[in-house]
Amino acid sequence: MAVLVDITKCIGCEGCSVACKMYNGLDFKAKPRNIKDGHLELDDNRWTVIQEFHTANDDLRFVKKQCLHCLEPACASACFSKAIQKDEKTGAVVYYPDLCVGCRYCMVACPYSIPKYQWNEQFPQVAKCQMCESRLSKGDAPACVSACTTGALISGDRDELIKKAHEIIASDSRYVNHVYGEHEVGGSEWLYISDVPFEELGFKQVSDTPVTNYSKSYLSKVPFFAAGWALFLAGLTYYNHRVEKNKKDQDDENKDKED
Amino acid sequence: MTNKISRRKFLKVVAGSGVVGFGVMAAGCKGDPSGAKGWIPDQYQGKGDFPVNLKGRVAISQDNPSIERDDEKCILCGQCVEACKNVMGVYGNYPLPLKNEVACVGCGQCTIACPSGAITEKRNIQDVLAAIDDDSKHVVVQTAPATKVSLGEEFGMEPGASVGKKMAGALKAAGFDAVFDTCFSADLTIMEEASEFVHRLTKAKDEIPHLTSCCPGWVKYCEYFYPELMHNLSTCKSPQNMMGATIKSFYAEKKGIKPENIINVSIMPCTAKKFEVGREELQVDDQRDMDYVLTTRELAVLLKHKGIDLNTVAESEYDSVLGESTGAGKIFGATGGVTEAAVRTAYYLATGSNPPADLFSWQPVRGMKAVKEANATIPGVGTVNIAVCHGLENARQLLNGIKEHGSKWQFIEFMACPGGCIGGGGQPKSSLPDIKQKRIAAIYKEDTSSAKRCSHDNTEIQSIYKEFYGKPLSEKAEKYLHTSFVNRHDRLF
Repeated sequence: MAVLVDITKCIGCEGCSVACKMYNGLDFKAKPRNIKDGHLELDDNRWTVIQEFHTANDDLRFVKKQCLHCLEPACASACFSKAIQKDEKTGAVVYYPDLCVGCRYCMVACPYSIPKYQWNEQFPQVAKCQMCESRLSKGDAPACVSACTTGALISGDRDELIKKAHEIIASDSRYVNHVYGEHEVGGSEWLYISDVPFEELGFKQVSDTPVTNYSKSYLSKVPFFAAGWALFLAGLTYYNHRVEKNKKDQDDENKDKED
Repeated sequence: MTNKISRRKFLKVVAGSGVVGFGVMAAGCKGDPSGAKGWIPDQYQGKGDFPVNLKGRVAISQDNPSIERDDEKCILCGQCVEACKNVMGVYGNYPLPLKNEVACVGCGQCTIACPSGAITEKRNIQDVLAAIDDDSKHVVVQTAPATKVSLGEEFGMEPGASVGKKMAGALKAAGFDAVFDTCFSADLTIMEEASEFVHRLTKAKDEIPHLTSCCPGWVKYCEYFYPELMHNLSTCKSPQNMMGATIKSFYAEKKGIKPENIINVSIMPCTAKKFEVGREELQVDDQRDMDYVLTTRELAVLLKHKGIDLNTVAESEYDSVLGESTGAGKIFGATGGVTEAAVRTAYYLATGSNPPADLFSWQPVRGMKAVKEANATIPGVGTVNIAVCHGLENARQLLNGIKEHGSKWQFIEFMACPGGCIGGGGQPKSSLPDIKQKRIAAIYKEDTSSAKRCSHDNTEIQSIYKEFYGKPLSEKAEKYLHTSFVNRHDRLF
């Protein structure tokens, strides 16, 4: 399941972020933790935010920000306790607090700096958009998509949405010829189209190579290396024991002879 | 000690729990994902693109001077969209992508429609309380006609209770230095607007149809959507601002108070007024006409904060110089009222005598019909065709017709809110079906029980022209009582 965000259709009502807080039981009273360059950023009680931008032509644009749900999520690959997993059926990158050890490697790994941490909690968890995986698995749209009245958010099959996005771009010359999220870090479930260049709207320029690719070549050898190393050490121990045992036996024999 | 933990035992426990943990994880146990602990209204169940009756909400920008919203109270019921789109014709009537503004005329109908109280007026109660407590400031308050027949509801009175005198008493008890009546400046507006209309009818025919401009929601709507009709708008300021400008000039001079030491507060049934008072065009000699606007609901909060009960407070008259009013000024609060009042005085201005009795109970312009049509025959001027329209969605349809076929009317009254000011966005909230009719009935009852029913008969109006403004449309009147408009079309289109 994927979502296509048409930035030209957003009027900034923030119904999506309210629907998110309502559905996920987040704290409405929590003060914003991160404000960067005048833009409200995600935090542990804001899994999605609407950011306001004034373009070079003084046009007003609103950009929805949340986890993009990468096809090859770096956060999930960084997590050694499998607390972040990509759901096979829905494509959502889902966080399981019961498995989390709180190391925050995911926060470092994410190319978009999406995962946030509950700094105020005694037993903190990581916080990020779950793409309403519980709704997706029932066949419902994510809460934010359901709440959108202007059609700025539509959900559906990823391939079909990509096709649709390119059709929209081809039919209207105002659009920038770029579907953000189609190829970025290997592609994501969330896709954006816009009439304003994405750099002007705070979108990060990232490589098309999945982050996981960089480490795959050697990290994939780690299990074999670790197993080999353990075998090697075990062998070494066994050998040392034998040498020592033989030496002891020899010593005992010599002692007996002396006696 | 016998139960001392040895190093070996400790390592066993750690390694053991690690193995168990890994086993649990490898077996597929992962607990619940985070989130999904809350709720969402029923219309959001199912696939996102299922058609539903009502959903979503209107956009309210941070710097909107009229309204604000508490997200925690918002239940995404969609009632605000319904009001904004189908009653006021704003939402959905501008193209996307946005240009440089989030469209809002400030009418506040969404605050009335919002069932959870999430959308409210942007409150100025604290500002007004601070001004009252500041001894160096002379705080003047004026009350709009529509608030006099609705404030009682906030204190448990029957809908349509006339509480003008009680309100004046309550405002004096709350510590305001002078209490004036916006009905007075409504009479002043009629003097100017009727003169302007007669002038346009006879000498400036390109400015016909004459469109009224006392409703700030409608004025902003016209600036947004029909800038080509801006020259048809009456240049008269709204009664609120005529009062404000008069207080900071005529009254200040008379009382020997510096205009900068006067704080002008108004009690309005309206949230768009909060936008209006910030307009740069509504300044004379670098003095803002008005400083703060309180809605009827805000006034109720302020009075309760001060411990004043409207039921028991002593009645009081409005203060003189700017306190006398006629029945014509009072009916401004109902749809059709401005028209009826203007025609009474236009008749007098054209003929020199008061109009016939049927123009004092002019049924065609009264009532809740979306667009009302009437005609009045004024000797010397001829027959004037008039339309009265309330609710901006009705206005949109009417104006689109005019754009296509031209106007058969010479005078059109527009009020943004259904029913006129009595149904304003700052009025007490109620779910009674006939509440607007009751408020309207109360307003017309005030008119018929008034001794004087024409604006030009107001003796304080006569003396203010004698002492200060000269005559309607004089140079001084143009300076203080007339304004200009801003083309806002390209902010949306």
